[in-house]
Amino acid sequence: MTIRRNWSRLLPMLLLAGLLVLLFSGCETDTPQNTFDAKGKVAADQRDIFYLAMWPALVVMIGVLGAVLLICLRFRERDPNSLPPKQIHGNTKLEVTWTIAPAILLLIIGVPMVSMIYDLGRAPASDAYIIDVVGQRYSWVFEYPEILDEDGFPVFTTGEAHIPAGREVNFRLRSLDVIHSFWVPKLAGKKDVMPCNILPPVQGEEPNPLDKPDCRGGELNELWMIADEPGTFHGQCAEYCGLNHATMYLSVIADSPDDFAAWEYEMRSGGGGGNEPPSNTPEATGSN
Amino acid sequence: MAVAAPQRSALANALRGARLAAEDPKSIWSWLATVDHKRIGVLYGVSSFILFLVGGLEALLIRSQLIVPDGGVLDADQYNRLFTMHGVTMVFMVVMPMSAAFFNLLIPLMIGARDVAFPRLNAFSYWSFLGGAIFINASFFTGDIFSGELGAPDGGWFGYAPLNLPQYTSGHGMDFYALGLQILGLSSLAGGLNFVTTILNMRAPGMTLFRMPVFIWMTLVTSFLIIFAMPVIAVALFELTFDRLFDANFFNPDAGANPLLWQHMFWLFGHPEVYILILPAFGIISEILPVFSRKPLFGYPFVVFSGISIGFMSWGVWVHHMYTTGLGTVANSAFGISTILIAVPTGVKIFNWLGTLWGGSLRLKTPMLFAIGSVAMFTIGGLSGVLHSMVPSDYQQQDSYFVVAHFHYVLFGGSILALMGGIYYWTPKFSGRLLSEKIGQVHFWLMLIGFNLTFFPMHISGLLGMPRRVYTYNEDMGWNLWNMMSSIGAFLIATSVLVFMINFFISIILKKGPLGGNDPWDARTIEWTTTSPPPHYDFAEIPVIHSRDDFWHQKYREDDQGNVLPPVAGAAVDAPTGGHGDAHGEHEGGHGDIHMPSPSYFPLIAALGLPVIAIGLIYDYALIPVGAALLVIGVYGWALEPATEED
Repeated sequence: MTIRRNWSRLLPMLLLAGLLVLLFSGCETDTPQNTFDAKGKVAADQRDIFYLAMWPALVVMIGVLGAVLLICLRFRERDPNSLPPKQIHGNTKLEVTWTIAPAILLLIIGVPMVSMIYDLGRAPASDAYIIDVVGQRYSWVFEYPEILDEDGFPVFTTGEAHIPAGREVNFRLRSLDVIHSFWVPKLAGKKDVMPCNILPPVQGEEPNPLDKPDCRGGELNELWMIADEPGTFHGQCAEYCGLNHATMYLSVIADSPDDFAAWEYEMRSGGGGGNEPPSNTPEATGSN
Repeated sequence: MAVAAPQRSALANALRGARLAAEDPKSIWSWLATVDHKRIGVLYGVSSFILFLVGGLEALLIRSQLIVPDGGVLDADQYNRLFTMHGVTMVFMVVMPMSAAFFNLLIPLMIGARDVAFPRLNAFSYWSFLGGAIFINASFFTGDIFSGELGAPDGGWFGYAPLNLPQYTSGHGMDFYALGLQILGLSSLAGGLNFVTTILNMRAPGMTLFRMPVFIWMTLVTSFLIIFAMPVIAVALFELTFDRLFDANFFNPDAGANPLLWQHMFWLFGHPEVYILILPAFGIISEILPVFSRKPLFGYPFVVFSGISIGFMSWGVWVHHMYTTGLGTVANSAFGISTILIAVPTGVKIFNWLGTLWGGSLRLKTPMLFAIGSVAMFTIGGLSGVLHSMVPSDYQQQDSYFVVAHFHYVLFGGSILALMGGIYYWTPKFSGRLLSEKIGQVHFWLMLIGFNLTFFPMHISGLLGMPRRVYTYNEDMGWNLWNMMSSIGAFLIATSVLVFMINFFISIILKKGPLGGNDPWDARTIEWTTTSPPPHYDFAEIPVIHSRDDFWHQKYREDDQGNVLPPVAGAAVDAPTGGHGDAHGEHEGGHGDIHMPSPSYFPLIAALGLPVIAIGLIYDYALIPVGAALLVIGVYGWALEPATEED
């Protein structure tokens, strides 16, 4: 009898302890897409505000679950034939308190949240390095409007983007088919890649590849981020886009200024690419 | 005329004969034609449980595929179709109809009525739900199933545009999705209208709104949410159907459409839908906790008003599903704040439940364990919801496994555990027998442990960057252990469901469970005053309600301080046949006086028309008139037949 009772007391506590151990062990691992292992300002800010909410949430969780356990132990019925306990119908003061207090607490963490929404949601800096991301089932093409080849078209890479480390990069996101989501967890949270049919260039006008294009149907989203140090950062499509969504991988390679300049030079002289450019971009088809 | 008259009477006689055949409660016809809310409730319950097994099987296949990296159980196409159907099934064909089962079984009994307001509409709701559910699941077989090609929808349960358009999906799966959800929505809509009418109009004398059990309040809020939310998804689904079948361009970006339109409509429906799924569970918890604490619900008005405010606020948070779509800082801030604030009424409920337990005399029987487990698990789900509402960190978590963990804590930990508690709590009322307490406890602990083992690690795999809806992952991502745990947990949950089925089989089907009598739990609300199972007409005499928790006050007296006084001689605390139960003796066999609506086949016939029309739309327009004819015959027969059989 006592053994059984002890077990029924211990089991939930063991469960809770196990869960907490799991949670903390999760923060430490160095894995390719770990959101805690931020390598740039945007991801670091997002991680910090996650912690800001997570710690109070954990405290509340332990408090409530602990209260449930304690109540179950303390107020367990001892004598089935006893009269029912005192019939308490409520306590207005107490209830008003536990309505107002969480509201105030939540609004307090709402302040840094809104401020960060505006901080991270600002338009990309005017001197940000521009890369056009083209999502297409099930691969990513990166066009570099700042690196034009001999014919005046932006060079492109497939699956891997090269960015200069330490400089703000503006990824301009558009999809040629369904919605994708561009996600490099160590550098920044995701942004959806919406279908965007770029309007054909006006007759006789030379389009400037650096200008933000207009879309017909859908939107062109922008996502800026900064990689603090050189390195390779993995990511993948985060919006279900069909059959091979799971393997729509990408990586962002941040190069030191010297390496990046060398890479740019190599690309400009026709070293990169290799695949066909994305099929229905205006450069390729001039329409749609 | 002379020729037509005998034919008509022959038809009328045949119909009358069929109706009379359905009057025999043992015949199969009586189930097909039933308009009795209790039988319809049982049908809802059994059907949704079978679909729970189907959805669970899909989940097991998903988890088998993900148990190790580069899993080889399923291919990408099968996986995508299975996770789509898992979501569609669990949301629309399990939690919603299982809640509808409780609504049907309990509303009339809890408000002191003999049936719902529109019994035949109620039957129509059930049959159209069943038709819609079979219709959507039939899509599996439209593929070449023997070579492993499933035909089910492959666009996700959320069916985002433009992925839901024919050029991006294969087969007819998404047609089944659009039309099937339309049918299920119609079924829910009819149910919602029925329940609102019933609750507002058919309460027993003295049952004022603020004497209603909280479960009835939550049902009322849920039904209003259904009435207002279903039309939104209906419009979206009609537009999708037109896009898919008639080459319309509502969602086609190539024709200039903005695909975000679908997301706005889907989530404007979808967020109230989340509360449609959880509020019935809140109602069940609010019934079980007081009974097994032997104490009234702490702060009834706060619990009721927080439920109502959740209902209103649920319309102002839908963009939190769309933070990453690029709607801009103003929209994200506004919806971030509204999402944070919806945690307040939810928190109020949790605190009030703790207040109910505090100072009680807790009887930790199976229903109570499930109810307490549901409160605890929902707390975790609610808190991870607050984490999501932090917009910038949601940019990381959106569409990762962290979200999967969150909503399973809400919908499994919250809804399913509470529904399970409800099954243990109310089964004695409708079968006369209790489920085995011992097996029930095993069921509870297995399910709770399995549930946490499955879904807690998903928080971590999500934060480690694992996106949702991926059929495979590489071994060097650091997700192996967490996925292994989730998969093992899923099989533990499956085991617990098996234990539940064994319990139900032994206790109820084989009748090994102990007899419960009218009031096995020393309950507080009036459904426990009538016999178990209740008679066809529910109450021999419509009860008159004098207070909240009316039945409790028939059994116990309290002084001004709320101290319970020793029972008066005769009104024994543990005599379950007290109160209105006694009245039955006199009225046994006297129910000729009580006119209950006659069985009717027409709701079934009308409901049958809907999937036939849907099949016709997909495959052959020639079937459309057939389905339409069934619908018209059903509706006309329904309108013209006598509401009660003349004796």
